[in-house]
Amino acid sequence: MKKLIAIIWKDVILRFSSPSEWLFFLILPVVFSVILAGGTGAPVDSRVRLVVTDHAQSPLSAQLIAAIEETNSITADVLPQAEAEEEFEDRQAPAYLIIPAELTSEAALNGGVALDLRLLPNNLNGVMVEQTVNTAIWKVSSALRIAASSVEEAERIRPFESEAQRAAYYDAALQAAQQEWDAAPRRMTTVEASTPDQIDYDPQTNSSAGQMITWVIIPLLGISGSFVYERQIGTLRRMLVTPTRKGLYLFSTILGNVLMAMVQMALLVGFGVWVMNIHWGNSPGALAVLLAATALAAAGIGTAMGAFIKTPGQASGVAIMSGMLMALLGGCWYPIELFPPAIQNASLVLPTRWAMDGILDLALRGQGLQAILPHIGVLMGFALVFFAIGVARFRYE
Amino acid sequence: MAPILEVRNLVKNYGSTAAVKGVSFNIEEGEIFSLLGPNGAGKTTTISVLSTLLAPTSGDVRVGGHSVVSEPMKVRNLIGVVPQEIALYDDLTAHENLIFWGQMYNLSGKTLTDRVQQVLQEIELADRAKDRVRTFSGGMKRRVNIGVGLLHRPRLLFMDEPTVGIDPQSRRAILDSVKALNRQGMTVLYTTHYMEEAQELSDRVGIIDHGELIALGTQNELTRQVGENDALVLEVGEGENVRQLCEAAKSIPGVVESDTSGSTLTIIAPEAEEILAPVIVQANALNVKIHSVAIQEPNLEAVFLHLTGRALRD
Repeated sequence: MKKLIAIIWKDVILRFSSPSEWLFFLILPVVFSVILAGGTGAPVDSRVRLVVTDHAQSPLSAQLIAAIEETNSITADVLPQAEAEEEFEDRQAPAYLIIPAELTSEAALNGGVALDLRLLPNNLNGVMVEQTVNTAIWKVSSALRIAASSVEEAERIRPFESEAQRAAYYDAALQAAQQEWDAAPRRMTTVEASTPDQIDYDPQTNSSAGQMITWVIIPLLGISGSFVYERQIGTLRRMLVTPTRKGLYLFSTILGNVLMAMVQMALLVGFGVWVMNIHWGNSPGALAVLLAATALAAAGIGTAMGAFIKTPGQASGVAIMSGMLMALLGGCWYPIELFPPAIQNASLVLPTRWAMDGILDLALRGQGLQAILPHIGVLMGFALVFFAIGVARFRYE
Repeated sequence: MAPILEVRNLVKNYGSTAAVKGVSFNIEEGEIFSLLGPNGAGKTTTISVLSTLLAPTSGDVRVGGHSVVSEPMKVRNLIGVVPQEIALYDDLTAHENLIFWGQMYNLSGKTLTDRVQQVLQEIELADRAKDRVRTFSGGMKRRVNIGVGLLHRPRLLFMDEPTVGIDPQSRRAILDSVKALNRQGMTVLYTTHYMEEAQELSDRVGIIDHGELIALGTQNELTRQVGENDALVLEVGEGENVRQLCEAAKSIPGVVESDTSGSTLTIIAPEAEEILAPVIVQANALNVKIHSVAIQEPNLEAVFLHLTGRALRD
């Protein structure tokens, strides 16, 4: 046990003897997770922004703003005039609507009040805003006209006894007209895509999981490099003339690297939870088992590579290239559903695919240990096969 | 008392290539035994088998009565190995290296700490203990390399050409440390291709060439094999003319052997003074410039030349 700990500790010191190792161990995975979480399409409000200054502050102006937003294609931000003008001039919004203080029902009916709508030149969104605002004005003024016509018709049949009775009748008619408008069937709906998206995709979860797997498997594949390095500098030969068994050396080296990978993954999972608000699912135990199986599979491949690779330079190059390729084709960088079906099927021979699928099953699809047992089984299969090859073909000389 | 090392008909083949061909010798407790031979003679392969790193193709090797084949762990507890290459972790400090290797030799706790401190004193690197090995000179690295082999106080220390590629001062320090270790009772098997090192250190010498042990004994026993011959050693330039001079010297009456190694021409004769003049005449005739001339009493170089017809090569 003391030798096991000594070998592991030696490997830890060697790995972190250069401060730059922290770059690959933690900093770059975190940076890439954050960048890709934002860069691959975090949920955004796709509605066109209209800044509004409401000098009227009347029920009618509130109705107008509500009617504009009803279309679902425009979001109206009511701001003080100075702030709204600044936003518009900074091109933060393609349109700016000023509702004058004189906006009353009478003025609207008589067409005596002009709304001030300013649009950015040559901007299609501006045109759409103009049409939407006109529609909203027409809708609000229609209710007013209906109420006015109702009052006229009622007065023609039987004159009102007082102005208050007349006003009350007008209010009731207006409310009824507005209710009818609200209940009217929509003639137009806005959709953002022509086909429903079948991909379970959350950019933050996908990027965090993908980057975690990428940055963990590359150093594990690099176990081959540490074996080759020790063979090259003669420390492996020296080890084998001490009373230390070959198996203990191999086991300790592999275990040390797997433990370092587990620590790295724990830090990245923690970063996801506390900084990126990622929900890794409801079964932390299942996630831990899955990640351990992933680390073992990658370590197994690294051990097998160590039996064939001859120089540390080769080991480094092969680990980086194969690690990146496995990450890409395993769905760590882009959802696997974006790849052609042939690639999707071929990627089933990669541990990264099973690891990624397992993590997403836990984190996005809310599944538990039972659902990812096949993933864990396949990953352990990778580990067993490649460890067997690596140990059987391992060259001590 | 039984020898601490017994080697019987040791054979080691790499495929169809025989690296060691039936070598046999013993080493007694407390002696320094040198395996002297040119590069590629089979010294490192022999030491690799003796230290359990390689399995012998045939033959038997016992260390302290334990077989290197069937009881390798018992053998490893008895031996220390100083390999030819500097087998250290450059990114660990000298102290960390010694601690790690001490743990590999089953040392722990206070014993480990004390041994590491003692070894650091012995190799005179206590003041640099906390520095990374990467920052050390070649000689300092060699000393740490030796220190690792001493940590567990082995009964038998294998040193495989420990002075290769270092400066004269470090070489002197290493030779002195080998003698000091031997005075403390440690048995040493020392391989080298430097005749002077074998002469200075060894109680007995085995001369190995092409995988065969061609001579074995004390220095007196070995030099007696070449009779009372002297060695005339000439430092000359290199080139085809030197090889012609070497051949021409063989025809001079009284010359027993003649061979070149680099810029050195060695001629064996009963009376070196008597052949000096004819050799100079031959050198002039062949336009070979002689830089220095030395006449040496019979030594291991002469023994090797006598036995193989070749000089010990660098």
